[in-house]
Amino acid sequence: MILTVDDIHAGYGRLEILRGVSLTVGGGQIAAIIGPNGAGKSTVLKTIFGYLRPFSGRIALHGERLDGSRPDQIMRRGIGYVAQAGGLFTEMTVHENLVMGGYSLRDRAALRRAIDAVYEGFPLFRARRRQLAGSLSGGEQRILTIARALIIEPTLLLLDEPSAALSPRFITEVYETLGRLNSQGMAMLIVEQNTGVILDAAERVFVLDMGASAFDGTPAELLADDRIRRLYLGSDAA
Amino acid sequence: MLESIVEFLILGIVLGGIYALFSTGLSLIFGVLDVINVAHGEFFAIGGYLAFAAIVLLHLPAAAGVAAGAVGAFLLGLAVYPLLIAPLKRRFGRQPQGSLFLVLTLGLSTFLQSSLLAIGGGDYLRVPPYLRGIVDLGFTGISNQRLLILAVAVLALVALFLFLYGHRQGMAIRAVAMNPDAAQAVGVNLTMIFTLAIALGTGLAGLAGALIAPLFNVYPAVGFTFTVKAFAITILGGLGNLAGALLASFLVAIVETMSVLVIPSEWQNVIAFVIMIAVLLVRPQGLLGRAPAG
Repeated sequence: MILTVDDIHAGYGRLEILRGVSLTVGGGQIAAIIGPNGAGKSTVLKTIFGYLRPFSGRIALHGERLDGSRPDQIMRRGIGYVAQAGGLFTEMTVHENLVMGGYSLRDRAALRRAIDAVYEGFPLFRARRRQLAGSLSGGEQRILTIARALIIEPTLLLLDEPSAALSPRFITEVYETLGRLNSQGMAMLIVEQNTGVILDAAERVFVLDMGASAFDGTPAELLADDRIRRLYLGSDAA
Repeated sequence: MLESIVEFLILGIVLGGIYALFSTGLSLIFGVLDVINVAHGEFFAIGGYLAFAAIVLLHLPAAAGVAAGAVGAFLLGLAVYPLLIAPLKRRFGRQPQGSLFLVLTLGLSTFLQSSLLAIGGGDYLRVPPYLRGIVDLGFTGISNQRLLILAVAVLALVALFLFLYGHRQGMAIRAVAMNPDAAQAVGVNLTMIFTLAIALGTGLAGLAGALIAPLFNVYPAVGFTFTVKAFAITILGGLGNLAGALLASFLVAIVETMSVLVIPSEWQNVIAFVIMIAVLLVRPQGLLGRAPAG
């Protein structure tokens, strides 16, 4: 396992949102967190990435503790974070956003190579490199946020509802991109409301309800569990 | 009449350079930290005092005095975030109310002014001109001192913009101002950037204070009028917008200087606020600020 989250209690101020959440992500694995609104799914990602300090519990990457570290420190350990919304520097150009994605790279040649690799993988952005990021469409912004997170070649990518507010075309494009990255060995932990698309992509699913773990297994096991399926996916899900 | 207009226009441009140094620094701090630095005028005064100490007491060259003013204010500014603002954030939460920071920097302003009074006394300290002589334009003359002020101010502002748009840490400052969470996600250390942004702001104020010391003399409250005016300029330009602060600085300075041609000079200091109110009534976000959504 590359990521271990063990009995985390966390929240905002004195308000406890996560009540003993545990999960793991294996190398090269796509793991998903699903659950009803307000379950604490995004809070899990924010706690792993250091935006929130857990009240108690343990978070480890390759066995080394992350809890208590800042986001910029965790990012340097090989974890990328893609926010649900507002993850770009909208008044910077596409190119400047990618340059900022490589902020931690001191070697300018390495940064240039990394940006060129992004342009190779996402030709759309090469053509629009001088365009303000805020003027891109919602789907393009989401893909740019993902592309920017790839500059530092993370071991693990945390994604918070990558399909939120996107058209079906862009949802497909986003998940094709994620699938391509995963085939190259990148592990992902994805919070998703769109259970239809995530259950096709994920190898492991964690269901969160009211800040506690409600299920931990494969998508097939989830779909085979009548109670869980009815509670979190609706009785029509199969 | 035309000669008077041109003369005052030139004086206004020179004054605009000083306002720009002062206000850009204030706007930078607000844009990055959402903190209104009421003590900004005291760093302006500190710049003047350091220039006085270097040039008059230590008999160093003028350039050394100006550098001392800028660097000294920058170094002092490095202490503001870690010693004052960060502890307040830790105590009250990630982003406590802006009024708390207002009171904090008001306290810092009082502390610094009292310290300057205790160390330097209340007398007006005279700093000799850095350059003597004038450039003769025929109908009027502009002192080399004023031209030097404008030249250094322009160079400093160009350097600032080159830093913000071309240097890794400058881009990080802009990134934090736009989106602190995203900045952290790409590896930016917020504490370092907050510290640097404040120090850059106070350094610009110190440079302005050192540059203008021969014209305004040096005393503890010399920065007060500038601070109050800089608030108006910063709001007029659009809070946190550096280009707006720059534009507003020259606009206010030119109108202010040229206003003496038509109104009594006693009303000169009111000009900045009249312009600010007039513009905000029509454009509440300021000259270059972003219009509110909806």
